[in-house]
Amino acid sequence: MSSAGPTRTSDSLADVVEMLLDKGIVINADIVVSVGQTELLGIELRAAIASFETAAQYGLQFPEGTNMDRVEAASGRDALPGDENGPLAPVIDAANAGDDESSEGTDDTHDSGAGESSDDETSQTAEEDDADDEETETTEATTESGGDDADG
Amino acid sequence: MSAPTADPGTSVSDGRYVYCVVAVEEDESDERDDWSEPNGVDGAEAYLVTSDGVGAVVHRCERTPNPADLSSVKRSLLRHQHVVDAAGEAFGTPLPFRFGTVVEGGDEAVERWLTETADTQRKHLDALSGKWEYRIEVGWDEDALAETVESNDDRLRELAEKLEDSSEGTSYLLQKQYDKRLSDLVYGEREARVSDLVERLDPLIDRMEELGRPSVSLEDDQGSDRQSDDGPTLRVAVFAPKQNEIPIGDVLDDVEADPETTAVQYTGPWPPYTFAPSLGDEGNGNGESTESNADTTDVGPGAGGA
Repeated sequence: MSSAGPTRTSDSLADVVEMLLDKGIVINADIVVSVGQTELLGIELRAAIASFETAAQYGLQFPEGTNMDRVEAASGRDALPGDENGPLAPVIDAANAGDDESSEGTDDTHDSGAGESSDDETSQTAEEDDADDEETETTEATTESGGDDADG
Repeated sequence: MSAPTADPGTSVSDGRYVYCVVAVEEDESDERDDWSEPNGVDGAEAYLVTSDGVGAVVHRCERTPNPADLSSVKRSLLRHQHVVDAAGEAFGTPLPFRFGTVVEGGDEAVERWLTETADTQRKHLDALSGKWEYRIEVGWDEDALAETVESNDDRLRELAEKLEDSSEGTSYLLQKQYDKRLSDLVYGEREARVSDLVERLDPLIDRMEELGRPSVSLEDDQGSDRQSDDGPTLRVAVFAPKQNEIPIGDVLDDVEADPETTAVQYTGPWPPYTFAPSLGDEGNGNGESTESNADTTDVGPGAGGA
């Protein structure tokens, strides 16, 4: 911070997300039909932004009753395209529904049925068929390194 | 809160997407009626609907917002903010609405709602006038704090000396003592720095609210910059008069000059998202008033299970 004033840089985008989705006035008048699916959108958005694990590490808290299958699906589970110009769209919701390799050992809730269960959210799933197949293999590598430290 | 939540992309009859409410001087209503801002959410043009000295910034829409992918969510959020910024510049501190607020029934419905609620809205707008929200995040380096503490504490020095020339068994215990004392002191040091900072900011601000753990940045590769590992941080929103913007920055500059400070984020001015009153029950006139409740985020968990 070189000058004393506040800034609004690209970093501020995180603030915008948090404020617009979490804060702000919610009116409850007869004429209101929607205040957006902000909670859900916020969760999916954040989950999709970072990987599921990273989000958890940052202390992302899911409200009780959250359908974790959906969140996991929304997070893309394994890896997100690192490049922000990349095809981010497909990772929102049910991203892994079609993958049968299911390589994550810890992920017992994400069996083959989990993907289909979120089909009711059709509005979000329109365009995600194409790009999820290639991004399933990043977490595997870390799981096997703990076995050989038994020197005493 | 039982706010209606139509599914994204639902058709609405003569819908209006609402950004914020602003104060409009009655005598200039006519010219202010011309205000508009292109480039709203979904590329719509935002304009002003006024009644009784308050105006709602809206755009016409046929559906509730339905950003289909991450980049369009980003775009929509930024455009929403862009319009609220423009309105704030033109009319002063706005009452900012949550992203995705849509009402039905056209300008007439909005106008009617404004008329019904004008007194309360004006009261809130007056109270917020000239003040804005700022967000402050300060991080400290755990190791640097530890070094500072180590060099200033006699007891630690003593323990360190004993450690050097002690036998293996003793040194284990001494090391335990050392670590315990160090972590206590680092914790205390951090607390002291936070409360010192809060104390210095106090005369400059109206209110302060802790923001808790950071949410994830949309720029995912910047996440690591923003949040240096798991070092201790202070993360707050403050509500302050515009003229205190620079004095607050001066205080933060001082803090940033400390070698133990890893990062200072100071963003704003924002509309008072965190400090906005709740307008929850005014439209339908039922229930008790919740005006003093600044935070509407504690919505039930229901939506998640949908």
